[in-house]
Amino acid sequence: MLGFVVRRLLAAIPTLFAVLTLVFVIVRIVPGDPALVILGDQATPEAAAAVRERLGLDRPMLVQYLDFVGSALTGDFGNSLVTNRPILDEVAAVLPHTIDLTLASMLIGVVVGVPVGIWAALNRNGFVDVMARLLSLIGLSFPIFVSGIFLLLAFGLHWRLFPVIGSADLNDPLDRLYKLVLPATALGLLMAAYITRVTRSAMLQALGEDYMRTARAKGVPRRRIVWVHGLRNAAIPIVTVVGLYVGILLGNSVLTEIVFNRPGLGKIIVGALNQRDYTMLQGLLVIYCFLIVIVNLVTDLLYGVIDPRVKAV
Amino acid sequence: MGIFSIRAAALAAALAIATPVVAQTLPTLRVAMAAQDVGRLDPHFAVSTIDRVVVAWMFSGLVRFKPGSIDPAEIEPDLAQSWERSEDGLAWTFHLRPNVAFQGGFGILTADDVVFSLRKSANAATSAFAADFAAFETIEAIDPLTVRIKLRNPVPSLLGILTNYAGGYIVSRRAVEERGAAFVRSPIGTGPFMLDHVTPNQSAELVAHEGYFRGKPQLAGISYRFIPSDASRDLAFQAGELDVNYGRADQTWVTRTRQLPNTTVDVFEPGELTQISLNITRPPFNDIRVRQAVAHAVNRPEFVRWRGADVSREGQSVIPRGYLGFINDPGLLPHNIDRAKALLAEAGYPNGLTIKVVHTQLPEMLSGMQVLQQQLRRAGITLDLSIVEHATFHQQIRQDLSPMVYYSAARFPVADIYLTQFFHSRSIVQTPTAVTNFSHCNLADAQIDAARVATDLAEQRRLWAEAQRLIAQAVCGVPIIETLLVYGRHNNVDYGYTLNGSMSLGPLITERTRLN
Repeated sequence: MLGFVVRRLLAAIPTLFAVLTLVFVIVRIVPGDPALVILGDQATPEAAAAVRERLGLDRPMLVQYLDFVGSALTGDFGNSLVTNRPILDEVAAVLPHTIDLTLASMLIGVVVGVPVGIWAALNRNGFVDVMARLLSLIGLSFPIFVSGIFLLLAFGLHWRLFPVIGSADLNDPLDRLYKLVLPATALGLLMAAYITRVTRSAMLQALGEDYMRTARAKGVPRRRIVWVHGLRNAAIPIVTVVGLYVGILLGNSVLTEIVFNRPGLGKIIVGALNQRDYTMLQGLLVIYCFLIVIVNLVTDLLYGVIDPRVKAV
Repeated sequence: MGIFSIRAAALAAALAIATPVVAQTLPTLRVAMAAQDVGRLDPHFAVSTIDRVVVAWMFSGLVRFKPGSIDPAEIEPDLAQSWERSEDGLAWTFHLRPNVAFQGGFGILTADDVVFSLRKSANAATSAFAADFAAFETIEAIDPLTVRIKLRNPVPSLLGILTNYAGGYIVSRRAVEERGAAFVRSPIGTGPFMLDHVTPNQSAELVAHEGYFRGKPQLAGISYRFIPSDASRDLAFQAGELDVNYGRADQTWVTRTRQLPNTTVDVFEPGELTQISLNITRPPFNDIRVRQAVAHAVNRPEFVRWRGADVSREGQSVIPRGYLGFINDPGLLPHNIDRAKALLAEAGYPNGLTIKVVHTQLPEMLSGMQVLQQQLRRAGITLDLSIVEHATFHQQIRQDLSPMVYYSAARFPVADIYLTQFFHSRSIVQTPTAVTNFSHCNLADAQIDAARVATDLAEQRRLWAEAQRLIAQAVCGVPIIETLLVYGRHNNVDYGYTLNGSMSLGPLITERTRLN
């Protein structure tokens, strides 16, 4: 197991390097000038040049790149070009909010999506199946900025059960949980829609396999057939989708963060892009990539737990 | 003393102990802004609306606009309690108010802090407003409470440069030197509120500056919340989670918000003038007939009906109305589609023409451009819009890539600044001194330059009027609409003054602001 983890982490190094390079190049290819963001629209070219010089943006690209890579290797991503706040501090301030939202919404997605998907598969083309497919289609069709606003209107404004402003005090676990309910529900139901469909499809495939027929012929109880033989074999695609979406949610919950007024990694990335905050974007994307590597590693380890044949490979 | 008296005394004593002393806790004002985050909180780098609003609560200038006003005639003493100027207007002496405390225990304001601050503002490496100080020759401390400024030439409004706006804010020298680069995120001024902390993407929390020289604020602090989604911000305001809300400058928002219980909508100056600049040096706009056709095709009343009569008004000149030197009769061409078509035909475009224009995807600017696109289409002018992201738009229009530029701006309310930045040859884009002259107009340089140094006010106004007429006549720019600032507040918010205008582009929160 340890060897597997080490091998995977080593394999991630070239990926991270590629990301470092790509990010550095891409943020500079995109038109737009951070000096203009800092100085505003009344800035003269001379003033903008002075700011670029002060920020080191006038140096040759190679020098800037080596500086960036050197700093990144020591874990120092520097300060934001726009706010001058340390990038790691910015990330540390918002990452707990992002992780809270990602894990809570994924938990809702799994808790709702997996049983509903299994139920639908067991009642293929029956009422339950049709309803599950219809509801998951509705869930997938509603963008978060619509479903989120509905939730806020109902529970934030009409019944006043939850706050509209969802940014919580990180030192207060109850406040954190309370303010997580609406955004996690909105995002969780969306995840549930995905997971329902994947689970249904994977279960349908598993249910049609020879070993299932054999189990039924041997008189294995139905519950055991479904939950042990069926689900275990259907679990690989489900875990793949969950792993994939955990990675996506870490940096792409920006709409949920905006609608529910929560801080988060996605919101910072979009803000940095709009402001052409090169250093911030570089730092954020590298950290994001690192998180994706970790999530993928955990997913791979789970494969081994679910299916020992994967571990053997 | 009888047993009854003893019991009564004991009961009274117990009650006295049990009854808590009701401490008067001051409330915190919750203000929402359409923003992701604040930028630089060094006031000399506060260029965005988001930053300007908050630094105005933390810093003071030598002088200030009367709270709620943007009228330069109502500029009043602030850190300086009096001043005098020489006959020729080139030497100004300011006498500072004694015992003004900086926030955070950074001592008492002296002339040294003022000199340091103004020199910092005048330096392009340490300020975004250095260009405003071009005429400053020397800034020196005469004694701990006296500052003298010498100018190379007269400026239209020296007091304007020194107000609580842009480069006029005074910072603590000690704080800047001690904190260095960190000053932009932990600034120190003399204003009624000071920064406690910023939670990225969430809020800037300010606390009252107890030692504020005008008196202790009547609020415990201000929670400045960054809520980019209009819908979420409005819901939070309706749910009572906010006291003051940044509003959208459109009639629907204003009408709807006014219908909410206990709510007031403040619509205030400065109006941001939306204008289209036409590049007079390149086809097709190097032909004045094409520019005139565009001007005739623009329908200002229709723009006001679209935006809303409560929040907008027609542009009347090439500078916003109310600015010192503004005239309302510069000779703008009236809306006349037939005349526009005839002019196009004369210019060799009997079947109309298509113009490729770079524009931003910023929703409020894009929707305005789409209205303009429709108006010009009626005259046979087709705008082929190249829609780009906002930062790209700013870069590309400065690279002179668009023959027509749709731009909205408000500036310090004196004609000189707007005229210089948008219509003086020195500000033409792609030159070393470029600002925002997208039209390449240079027809009123002499008038703008002469007005800047004129000492006779009547002559100065005459020159500015002439400049506006020349620019309008040449159709370097076509003014369209002025859009005012809009904020909603619950009725328990008392700013302590009547909000008619704010140069910081948001309500000024002073020591008199309170929550009833």
